[in-house]
Amino acid sequence: MQTSELLNSYHVDANTWDEMYTDLSVREQYQGVVDFMQQMSIDELNRKEELAKKLFMSQGITFTVYSSGEGIEKIFPFDIIPRIITASEWKYIEEGIRQRLKALNLFLKDVYNEQFILKDGIVPTEMVYSCPHFLREIHGLPVPHDIYVHIAGIDLIRNNDGTFYILEDNLRTPSGVSYMLENREITKRIFPDLIPKNNVRTVTEYPNILHRNLVSLSPRQTANPTIVLLTPGIYNSAYFEHTTLARLMGVELVEGRDLVVDNHRVYMKTTSGLQQVDVIYRRVDDEFLDPMVFNPDSMLGVAGIMSAYRKGNVAIVNALGNGVADDKAIYTYVPAMIRYYLNEEPILKNVPTYQLGNVGEREYVFGNMNKMVVKKTNESGGYGMLMGHAASEEEIFRYQVEILKDPRQYIAQPIISLSSAPCYMGGRLKPRRIDLRPYALCGPGGIEIVPGGLTRVALREGSLVVNSSQGGGSKDTWVLAG
Amino acid sequence: MLSRVADSLYWMSRYLERTDGILRMLKINYASSQDDIGEFSWKPVLKTFTYLDEETANGIAHHSRAVLQYMVTDKENSNSVLNIITHARENARSVQDHITKELWQCLNDFYHTIRDEQLVRGIHKDDPVTILDVLIKQGLLYFGIMDITMARGEGYAFINIGKHLERAVQSADIVDVKFSDLNYDFTKTDTTYWKYLLLSISGYELYLKTYRSGFDAKNVIEQIVLNGDFPRSVIYSVDRLHRYFQRLKSERNMDSYRKIDFLIGKTRSKVKYSTVGSIMEQGLHSYLKGIKEDLYEVGNALNLNYFAYT
Repeated sequence: MQTSELLNSYHVDANTWDEMYTDLSVREQYQGVVDFMQQMSIDELNRKEELAKKLFMSQGITFTVYSSGEGIEKIFPFDIIPRIITASEWKYIEEGIRQRLKALNLFLKDVYNEQFILKDGIVPTEMVYSCPHFLREIHGLPVPHDIYVHIAGIDLIRNNDGTFYILEDNLRTPSGVSYMLENREITKRIFPDLIPKNNVRTVTEYPNILHRNLVSLSPRQTANPTIVLLTPGIYNSAYFEHTTLARLMGVELVEGRDLVVDNHRVYMKTTSGLQQVDVIYRRVDDEFLDPMVFNPDSMLGVAGIMSAYRKGNVAIVNALGNGVADDKAIYTYVPAMIRYYLNEEPILKNVPTYQLGNVGEREYVFGNMNKMVVKKTNESGGYGMLMGHAASEEEIFRYQVEILKDPRQYIAQPIISLSSAPCYMGGRLKPRRIDLRPYALCGPGGIEIVPGGLTRVALREGSLVVNSSQGGGSKDTWVLAG
Repeated sequence: MLSRVADSLYWMSRYLERTDGILRMLKINYASSQDDIGEFSWKPVLKTFTYLDEETANGIAHHSRAVLQYMVTDKENSNSVLNIITHARENARSVQDHITKELWQCLNDFYHTIRDEQLVRGIHKDDPVTILDVLIKQGLLYFGIMDITMARGEGYAFINIGKHLERAVQSADIVDVKFSDLNYDFTKTDTTYWKYLLLSISGYELYLKTYRSGFDAKNVIEQIVLNGDFPRSVIYSVDRLHRYFQRLKSERNMDSYRKIDFLIGKTRSKVKYSTVGSIMEQGLHSYLKGIKEDLYEVGNALNLNYFAYT
């Protein structure tokens, strides 16, 4: 039978949690998908895969790689088999993220105002002040509803017993949510009826919730505030996401050159003159936002926008200075923050993390390099990272020399194996490692997490790195209704 | 609407109108080249749609495949269909939130079609008409989707302003170049010559219905410049240009509006109150040159008053 052919080469790596298989059988949540695949021939599945590629291409869900003066369109690899999360797993994740965000938001408010947490010695002061993303410029500045993190993309992984761990809190300009939305649309096309039959919860509410939250931040009391999405422009690799969100929310997509600041107010240049802007959902990093305050060479920002922000004439989402809370060294203290601010035990665990600025921990890490992944605290996207088990002695030595130059900028974590999920590869299902990034939205009404997210997958056999810049792809992510 | 968005919509539309003009011109001229006993020359086409110097143009004017390749897929030719569609798509890409998803996908598909090497290889080898037809159809799809899905707002007005401005210039150009090819000799009555010109702008049937007495240069001029029922005529295009521009009237931008309304109105009257007789009296070339200069001035004024954002 076709199925056995499809499944017989599916060998879960030793000591790894697989999302589809227990030792002997298919997990209940995957049964529907497996049955469905059984009815299809390899040819049909290949055609589905081809169709998915074509749909991405023709909808322009692409990024452009420029070489020799010519743009080449690429799609982010998409695996057709969905990743499935059960209702009870989701409930746990949801509660954990909600708790964590609540604490992180309180931390940001505290660290930019009274700094109780530093005075009480819960988080070391030097840890905060040595973080390059800590912005002295916004100290004491009030933000609407005390919300700093409006949009968070929190990365989760699962170790070999299936326990979820928080890997990273992305609190600045997390990307990828358009793939959560588009991957679902693609699944609807390639697997008709499969989604309703499996009781999959919808993700389409995301833009509506986000839009409602943005409206609530308007400093002007007007029925119809002007909301814009600020993009670095068409050459940005996430440009597709910016246009998608602008379209789905019905807000104006602007570039820095479309905006101008006059008398501490932000305006956009329209065909009928200047129009005041109330809320900016920016996808431009802090340091490029205002050439008068931050990087003076920035062409992406708007000169004077900080003065308007300081006066409270415009709301900026996410707030500036959030980088201090998702710094990889500060990360270690998030469980302590949860206990300090909320007086609760953390629901979701941190991955054990060693501060290389701390001599004892550094020595331990240097003694066990082959079991560690070492990361730079202010880098993301899988850059500047060393996977100890895969590195040569020389690479490790060179990296150690780098670390000793500025140990505060590095952390180390034991290598977590990451759970695996089935991927369709050349007529076979094969296990590949995955992570999960759900998207949380914080508004005056509380924290809402759309049931779904982005599942990133390391497409190379044996690889533990899921970042798209390092050969990762993505999957549609299903959260099942109870 | 953002000035940058209006600018991009306007150019997206001009590029698509230009593409349509070029592709039809190529298709009909190719047919004509297969029908010609003498040496068929692509010179008028090259003069209307490219910036080639006299010598280079003469060099390829008798080589259909070379001309087709240059005008459809040549990367060095800034006015090749490949480059125009690439620009149009870049414009569309940056205003995706102002055009419908269908329209964006159509332009995106057009872009991938023209970049499909297998398809355009036909330009060199197989029957080029098949390829040109595929491309023309992709353009027609764009015009249809535009009409059916786009909201009738400011963006739609700018799109139509671009489209009709481009078309007016194109039609004036085509007439001017065709007659300069004959050294403005209005006695030529060679049926094939006029037939293919009219076919290339979809005006052949209308001509046959309007003029029963065979082909006459003056009638051709009358149809392409002055016939208000002919959608490719100068008067029709300027009329539409004016009509869509007037939709931009708003309290907030009165000065700019009046300035451009005056410019378009003046041009429109100039064309409207002309006859073939008065055009001949002034001299066809000088008349068309005047019209084109007026239209360029409208373009510049739009730039200055509506699109300035940098």
